[in-house]
Amino acid sequence: MKVAINALQAPSGAATGAKGAAMKHTPPLRERWRGRRNLLPALLFLGLFFFAPLISLLLRGVLEPVPGLGNYEQLFANSAYARVLFNTFSVAGLVTLISVLLGFPLAWAITLVPRGWGRWLLNIVLLSMWTSLLARTYSWLVLLQASGVINKALMALGIIDAPLEMVHNLTGVVIGMSYIMIPFIVLPLQATMQAIDPMVLQAGSICGASPWSNFFKVFLPLCRSGLFSGALMVFVMSLGYYVTPALLGGAQNMMLPEFIVQQVQSFLNWGLASAAAALLIAITLVLFYFYLKLQPESPVGNSNAR
Amino acid sequence: MLLTPNAMSRRLRFGLYTTTGVIALLLLLPIVFIVLLSFGSSQWLVFPPPGWTLKWYEQFFSNAEWMEAALASLKVALLTTVFAVALGLPSAFALVRGRFPGREMLYGLFTLPMIVPLVIIAVAVYALFLKLGYTGTLFAFVVSHVIVALPFTIISIINSLKLFDQSIEDAAVICGASRLQAIVKVTFPAIRPGMIAGALFAFLVSWDEVVLSVMMASPNLQTLPVKMWTTLRQDLTPVIAVASTLLIGLSVLVMMIAAALRRRNPVSA
Repeated sequence: MKVAINALQAPSGAATGAKGAAMKHTPPLRERWRGRRNLLPALLFLGLFFFAPLISLLLRGVLEPVPGLGNYEQLFANSAYARVLFNTFSVAGLVTLISVLLGFPLAWAITLVPRGWGRWLLNIVLLSMWTSLLARTYSWLVLLQASGVINKALMALGIIDAPLEMVHNLTGVVIGMSYIMIPFIVLPLQATMQAIDPMVLQAGSICGASPWSNFFKVFLPLCRSGLFSGALMVFVMSLGYYVTPALLGGAQNMMLPEFIVQQVQSFLNWGLASAAAALLIAITLVLFYFYLKLQPESPVGNSNAR
Repeated sequence: MLLTPNAMSRRLRFGLYTTTGVIALLLLLPIVFIVLLSFGSSQWLVFPPPGWTLKWYEQFFSNAEWMEAALASLKVALLTTVFAVALGLPSAFALVRGRFPGREMLYGLFTLPMIVPLVIIAVAVYALFLKLGYTGTLFAFVVSHVIVALPFTIISIINSLKLFDQSIEDAAVICGASRLQAIVKVTFPAIRPGMIAGALFAFLVSWDEVVLSVMMASPNLQTLPVKMWTTLRQDLTPVIAVASTLLIGLSVLVMMIAAALRRRNPVSA
């Protein structure tokens, strides 16, 4: 029986040994190709509705209004556009920093507390992640407005005299986006921390490390992979975020995604928009490449070669 | 020692737990706040509300535009789910079981819509449909949503398919079933949690999709997030809080279904 089952798996496992060589022609071609053919519908769909439009969009950046690199020149030369790029990167950087600072203790505590509590904390994180993006953004809009709860509370406590302007500017964008990104730090970081053997830290302290140096020299380096991949993911996502900046931000200080939409919808300037889009894609893909380098293995990688 | 609470110094533990409590409350704050506001009587979203009322819910359910938007959302999300699973299922099989070169690269291609910023996908697809004259149609909504839902579906199906031992399916074939019968009767039930999770993801992605929908929308056809978006840009009426609360309720429901699935089948989903 077992032999029979193995024989059925020939396409995957029989490449080794003399027997494997003899069987090389036995797996019916039909069986072998069946796998690949299954990809066709999805590939056709993505090719038609994703890759083709994407490529033709990117081409417009060098073809419209006249062929050449004029759009790119404009993008970098015009100080207003450079400002957009600066905003995009500084907001994404700040958001990454804040969400790491808030996400780290949370991930740590989830790993630390008894299982029941940990599950509750994790559920809170998941709830916030899966709650409608618009609902959360709307909520922050109301919370942060001049007559909102946060301003009123701060004034009642005597911390400020006049309401702070926290929406329709980059402050609002940073607050709203950091909130949205916290789960994307907590989840990978928590998985990394869970995998750390507590004994290693115990060993550190037995060998005389103070809690302080144990944290910085042992614990933090062990968290590094989760921390880096989470932070990188958040940074990449922040660069391309549209909804929250569009609602919590102001017309004065735009980010790249808003800029692209504005060029398309208000100015019908497809050339400039697609140059900006190409820039955003290039940055995203390069950063994502580094992200993949940090991942231990690909989901369809060698691990499933039986 | 930093991972065993009892060995931690009391001060450090207290500090960590307090910080965590505050952050957890911060995560809950906007969600609880919006649910409370949807029952508050103040038109200007004063908090704490001067009184409690259901009138915003009445307004929401009696307004034809909101109801149509909700219905459109449901229609688009269901269609998206069906197509994402129909396209994702065979692809997942090929990616897990296929033995052809470039599998990794193909997997990368399939997950690309998750990585490329949504705005760019939205603008690109918008340009295509503008040319074809399809903007504002159900077709445009569903196609654009399937693009972004597909990676989620494929990944969850792949995850459960990888855990399924193919020799069980082969055993069915040896016992006389055709390959198709074996897949439908043996493999599908075994990977059902992954398929359901994939379907749930597709539904949720579509249900909550803003950027693509805003680009695809027309006055005749708009989903709930589009209606919320356009209303939000005019004023902050509590009716949006009602719509938000309903969306939150749905997310909680979907999460509970996912959790129930995980409990029944701890290895997958």
